[in-house]
Amino acid sequence: MTAHTAARDMAARDMEAPGVAIRDLTVVYKTPAGELPAVRGVDLTLAPGTITGVVGESGSGKSTLALSLLNAVQPPGRIAAGSVEIDGLGDVLTLRGEDLRRARGRQVGYVFQAAQNSLNPLKTIGKQLLDLGRSHDVEDLRGLVRDAKDLLARMGMDGARVLDSYQHELSGGMRQRVGIMLALVLNAKVVVLDEPTTALDMITQATILRIIREVHEERALTTLVITHDVGAVAEVADSLAVMYGGRVVEHGPVTEVLGDAWHPYTQGLIRAIPRLSGDLSLARALPGRPPTLGTLPKQGCVFRERCERRMEVCETDEPMSVNRDGRTVACHATDRHLTLVKRKEFV
Amino acid sequence: MTHAVPGRPRLGAIARKIGGHLVRGLAMIWVVATISFVIIREIPGNPVLGQYESLIQKGMSPEQAERATAVLYGFLPTGNLWQQYVGYMGSLLHLDLGRSLSTPGVEVTTLIGHAARWTVLPVLAGTLLSFLLGVTMGVYAAIKRSGKLGDALALSGSLLHGVPVYVIGLLLTAVFATLWPIMPSGGPVDVEFVPGFNAGYIGSLVHHAVLPVVTYTLASYGGWILAMKSNVVAVLGDDFILAAELRGLRRGFVFRYLARNAILPLFTILALSVGMLFGGSIFIEEIFNYPGLGLLLVNSISSRDYALMGGTFLVITVGIVVANIAADLLYTVIDPRVRSGGAA
Repeated sequence: MTAHTAARDMAARDMEAPGVAIRDLTVVYKTPAGELPAVRGVDLTLAPGTITGVVGESGSGKSTLALSLLNAVQPPGRIAAGSVEIDGLGDVLTLRGEDLRRARGRQVGYVFQAAQNSLNPLKTIGKQLLDLGRSHDVEDLRGLVRDAKDLLARMGMDGARVLDSYQHELSGGMRQRVGIMLALVLNAKVVVLDEPTTALDMITQATILRIIREVHEERALTTLVITHDVGAVAEVADSLAVMYGGRVVEHGPVTEVLGDAWHPYTQGLIRAIPRLSGDLSLARALPGRPPTLGTLPKQGCVFRERCERRMEVCETDEPMSVNRDGRTVACHATDRHLTLVKRKEFV
Repeated sequence: MTHAVPGRPRLGAIARKIGGHLVRGLAMIWVVATISFVIIREIPGNPVLGQYESLIQKGMSPEQAERATAVLYGFLPTGNLWQQYVGYMGSLLHLDLGRSLSTPGVEVTTLIGHAARWTVLPVLAGTLLSFLLGVTMGVYAAIKRSGKLGDALALSGSLLHGVPVYVIGLLLTAVFATLWPIMPSGGPVDVEFVPGFNAGYIGSLVHHAVLPVVTYTLASYGGWILAMKSNVVAVLGDDFILAAELRGLRRGFVFRYLARNAILPLFTILALSVGMLFGGSIFIEEIFNYPGLGLLLVNSISSRDYALMGGTFLVITVGIVVANIAADLLYTVIDPRVRSGGAA
C-alpha cells in the first residue's frame, strides 16, 4: 500500500465508519435429523473502516454468516442465538418487520454473487433504482439517479445507458457493478459482498476487486467480503477470517494469517493454492472432505478428521478461541504450541 | 459497445415483425384450407361427385346439377383437380365457404356466425374467469404452500384438473337444474322473450349462461392454479426476489416483481386458449344444449355436411393462428427479453 493510499485510508476511517460485532452467533437449519448448526458460536468483530474477508469451503457457513448480518437467514434456517451489533443501528437480530426492512439497503448493503441474477429481468435498472428509492422514502429521486450515475461512472460505466438497460443487456461484470451500485446508492455504511467475483473472468475479477477497494476507501465503509478465493481476499482485505464447519477457526490481519497461519486448516488451505511460478505439484490438496450439516461431529474439534496434528483432547473438547497479538485461533495444537513458545521465552 | 439505446425496437422493426407474422399466418391458413379441400374431394365416396350424381338422378340436367353442387361446395364437381382447387380458393377469397347440406340452402358463413355468438361470449367469460381465479389462487397456494390452506388449494386444482369436463357439467346440471332447480337445464335463452336489448332477454341470456360458464371455469381452473403455483414457487427461488428483499424493497414491490415474472409464461397459454375458443367446447355445448361452434362441428360431422365441416375447421384455424400472432406480439410488449435479443 502506498503512502498516498494509506493516508487516504486514514482519512476515510476517520469518517464515521460503523463497527460490527458478531457475538456467539448460532444459526441452525431444520433437517429430518433435527436442527443442525450451520454456524456455531461465531464471534467476529469487523473493525470500523476495514475490509474483512471470510474464506472457507462450500458449506462452511460463510454465506449463512453473511445473511445473518441482515437478519435474513432463509427458512429452513433460523438464527438460534447470538447478536449482531452494528454501530448506530443496534442488534440487527432483534429488528423485525418495517424496522428490519428499512435497515436493509439503507444501513447494510448486500451484493449478490455475480453469476446469479440479482436483478428483476422485466424492469430496467433505472426503474428498479426508483423502486428502491421509493421503498426507502427517498424524496429527491432525481438526486438518487444522479448518485447512481456517478457511482456507475466511478466504476467505468455509462450511467445513463446502464439505467436505461435491462439485465439481459448487461454482461456479468456489468451486472455485478450494478449490484454494487444498488448496495451503495442509499449510502449504506456496512456492505456485505457474497462471493462478489465468483464466476467472473480474471480481468473482470481484478476490476471488481479494485472497485471494491476504492469505493470502500472513498466512502469510509465497513466491508465484509465472503469468498472461497484466498487470492481475491489477499488482494482486497485488511483482515481475514477462516471458517470451517460453521466455526471461525482463525482470524487476524490478512498478511499475518496468510504469511504465518496458525490453524492447521488455514495452513492446509494455503498449501492447496497452486503457485504461478514453481512446481505445480507443490500444491497439495487437503485430504478428506469438508463436513456437511449431517456429518459435523457432535463434540470435539470440527476439523480433527482431516487434521495432521490431532491429539486426544481434540476428540472430546471443542477448542476455545484464543486471542493473541490481535489474532484469534481455535485449535488445541496451536494452543499448546504457543504456550510452549511462551514458556521458553520466560525460562 | 454501441450507444444506440438497446432493447427498444424501431418502428421499422415492429412493422417487419408484424408483416412476418401475417405472412406466416396466411400461409398456415392456406395449408389448412388446402387440406380441407383435399379431404372433401378425396374422402371415400367423394361427396361432391355423389351430390352431383344424386342431383342428376333426381332429374336435374347435368349443367343445373353442376351449378347446384358448385354453390354447395364452392367448386365445380367436375373438371380436373386444378380447376376445382382454383375455384375453391377463389370463393374462399370472397369469404364464401359454400352452403350447408344439413340445413339446405343456408350459407356456411351464416351458420358459423350464428353459432359463434353462442360460443364466443360464454367460453371467453369462462376462460378469463378461470384464468383470473386460477392465477390468484395459484399465487396464494404458492406463498402458503407449507400451510393447510395452500395444500387444500393445490389439491383442489389437482382434483378439478383430473375430473373430465362432462362430469363437472353433468354434476352441476344434476344439482342446480334437477335436485335444486334454480337454473335452466339447457338452451341458450328462454323463448318467451323478444330478442333484443331488453332486460328480460338479457337476464335470460345470463341466467342460461351461468351453468356453462361455471362448468367451463371449473374445468380449466385446475390447470391455471397448478401452472401458476409452480411458476410462483420457481420465481420465489430466484435470486432477484431475495435480492429485492435484502435491498429493503417494500413488500408491494417484491410482490409485483414476483407476480409479473410468474404470470408471464401463462400468457401464451391464455392466448392459445382464447384462440381455441372458436372450436367451442363440444362437451359443454352438448350437455347444456348450447348451439355453439362445438355443437355445430359435431352436427356437421354426424350429418356428413362436408362444406360446413370444412368451414368450421377453417374458422378454428384462423382463430388459433390469430391467437398465436397476438401472443407473439403481446410478448414483445410485456417481456423486454423478447424485444431484441442483444445481450452486451
